[in-house]
Amino acid sequence: MRNYWRLSRLTSHFLPLTLLIFGVRSPLTAQDGLVAERSAFALWLANAPDSPLAALAQQAIGTGLTLGPEDADVPLKNSTRMTVRAEGSSVMLNHQGIKTPLPRDRLTAIGPYQLRPAGPSGRSVLTVFGPEHRTLIPSYYPADSHFVMTGSLTKPASRVTHRILMPDGVETEAIEAGVFTIQLESGPANLKVYRIADEDTGESELVIYFQDLTNGKGSYPAGRFVTLTPRDEITYLLDFNRSRNPFCAYSTAYACPAPWPGNRLSVEIKAGEKYGN
Amino acid sequence: MATDETLMNGGMAEWRNAVLLRSFRHSSFRHLLLPLFLSVQAPGPAGPWRAVLDLAGGPLRFALTVEQKGGTWQGKLCNGTQCQALSAVRVAGDSVVFDIATYAATIAAVARGDSLVGEYHNVGRRGPRTIPFRAARGRWPVEKGFGGLTGRWDAQFLTDFDASPRVIELRNDRAGLEGTIISNTGDYGLFWGHAQADSFSISHFDGSYVYMLTGRLKADTLRGVFHAGLRTQTRFIAVRSNGAPHLKSPSEITTADTAPFRFSFPDLEGRQITEADPRLRGKVVVIDVFGTWCPTCHDAAPALVQLYKDYHARGLEIVGLAYEVSGDSATDNHQVRLYRDTYHIPFTLLRAGTNDTEAAAATLPQLTNFTAFPTTIFLDRTGRVRRIHAGFYGPALPEQHAKLVKEMRAEVESLLRER
Repeated sequence: MRNYWRLSRLTSHFLPLTLLIFGVRSPLTAQDGLVAERSAFALWLANAPDSPLAALAQQAIGTGLTLGPEDADVPLKNSTRMTVRAEGSSVMLNHQGIKTPLPRDRLTAIGPYQLRPAGPSGRSVLTVFGPEHRTLIPSYYPADSHFVMTGSLTKPASRVTHRILMPDGVETEAIEAGVFTIQLESGPANLKVYRIADEDTGESELVIYFQDLTNGKGSYPAGRFVTLTPRDEITYLLDFNRSRNPFCAYSTAYACPAPWPGNRLSVEIKAGEKYGN
Repeated sequence: MATDETLMNGGMAEWRNAVLLRSFRHSSFRHLLLPLFLSVQAPGPAGPWRAVLDLAGGPLRFALTVEQKGGTWQGKLCNGTQCQALSAVRVAGDSVVFDIATYAATIAAVARGDSLVGEYHNVGRRGPRTIPFRAARGRWPVEKGFGGLTGRWDAQFLTDFDASPRVIELRNDRAGLEGTIISNTGDYGLFWGHAQADSFSISHFDGSYVYMLTGRLKADTLRGVFHAGLRTQTRFIAVRSNGAPHLKSPSEITTADTAPFRFSFPDLEGRQITEADPRLRGKVVVIDVFGTWCPTCHDAAPALVQLYKDYHARGLEIVGLAYEVSGDSATDNHQVRLYRDTYHIPFTLLRAGTNDTEAAAATLPQLTNFTAFPTTIFLDRTGRVRRIHAGFYGPALPEQHAKLVKEMRAEVESLLRER
């Protein structure tokens, strides 16, 4: 906890710089929040039971999965055989002759392991987490205000939904939110944006999965995720400093989202999360 | 919003009332000495705070109150007159952490002069979500809304390609402007805030839900934005209600087949209870589909207890079906017992499953379009479903609450009269 605080305290030095650049107080662009977000994320990666650094496997439940012995779909050390299968819209676990429902989007502990089914009925995936965390501290390009930009969203003419993979390898239904145009040194560039809604909380995010010329040369080869923040009714803020790797960058257990066609920028976005050393 | 601006005037001083601490900041002994000094030099973080979460669309106001009792820090979080206790307040040097254990959420901040600056965070499936937090000493001013704002508004929430109906209620209370938002499946809890001339802002922050409604009245139309979490913004447009129903009736959302209603779930002692239980035979039965995690269910519990007390002697039975978070029987039974003891619930509670709506619906296959916690099902003496009420109007909506309770009593009385 102490380290966390020390990081937070550093942030005061960045604040005047931000005020200078934007002229007005703009809490979401303040580097203040960026440092706090990154330290909270590093803590979560190192400690959370469902951290990608504790992930052992992620597989489609399909017609059923076996877990446990060496010949199982998901071999687990010192675990007796169990099966996970979909029954209607529920996911059921059969373990030592007892059948119990596995709640969706939630962790269920079985001995030292944690199981979580997620995704739409019929195409759900099971993610299995173990008791140990690999060591990986995410690294970032230095915060750079040049990579904070505003723009507007051109909406599509009608409602179109697609099934896309989220950073955690789970499929979700996303609404096409439009095309976000940014001005780069090389000229204007368009990025496709999807809205991902969480029905439970009423919250939603405008998500962009993009590629750029740093991919494989400092940043993750498949691309990175970033979200748009509304400024007013028509303009949005895009802060590339907040770009994040998909979870497949932390563990090969995860399915990696395929790049979104058209979202390839012909410049180097030296901002946000890096990959490797 | 002058009060929000004053929050930014942080100086270099630490807690105003714990100046002595400064010289100990770099001493390795400060952790040992700290409790001593804080107890002598109180209040440290003690007292009322005007707190703000900086959402993308503007500041969300709430209040924190901190006090030290018997050497232990404690506090509460308030939206106007509605407060909840924090599970812990941890103070170390110039940092303070407020824990909201129910939702595994925390607010962590450092003192900057007479302000606190930090962030709120809770954990989602894809990692922690953080929202900038700041606070200044003192209480929020009471800023009520003028008569043109208060009352009932029929709203449409406009998402990318859809419009969905909501009712917005605004009224003045001693803490300022108050209100709530109602959808087809229930209300969003109590909102509190302030108004200035024709503009208003009300919010509901309980450690988990981060909701704010901002708007402005122009001519006869209310326009504004509903904010959820850091980044979601949904525009709305509303006109004053003319009294005609704007939402679907809560008794028309979920339906059931015509066969006698069947269920089989364990009680808290592990005994399997079914609809054929001798205690339920020939009785009017009210089934309360609830969860201890669901704030609206807590609102409904006292009303159901009263219903039971008033009509049990004449042949009413109530059965609560709990849909809990963990799925682990010991943990869930413990939560349900706490709930039972809090509301002195005299009727049977069964552990029916987990609170995932789809999984819960699968345990009640005779229902169509099960969507809300709580859902109240009224069975006649032959065990057939006669009415299903999705959601519940809590005391945040005093008029609807009173009306609903009256309707529930009338339904029970009418079913009791059938032989």
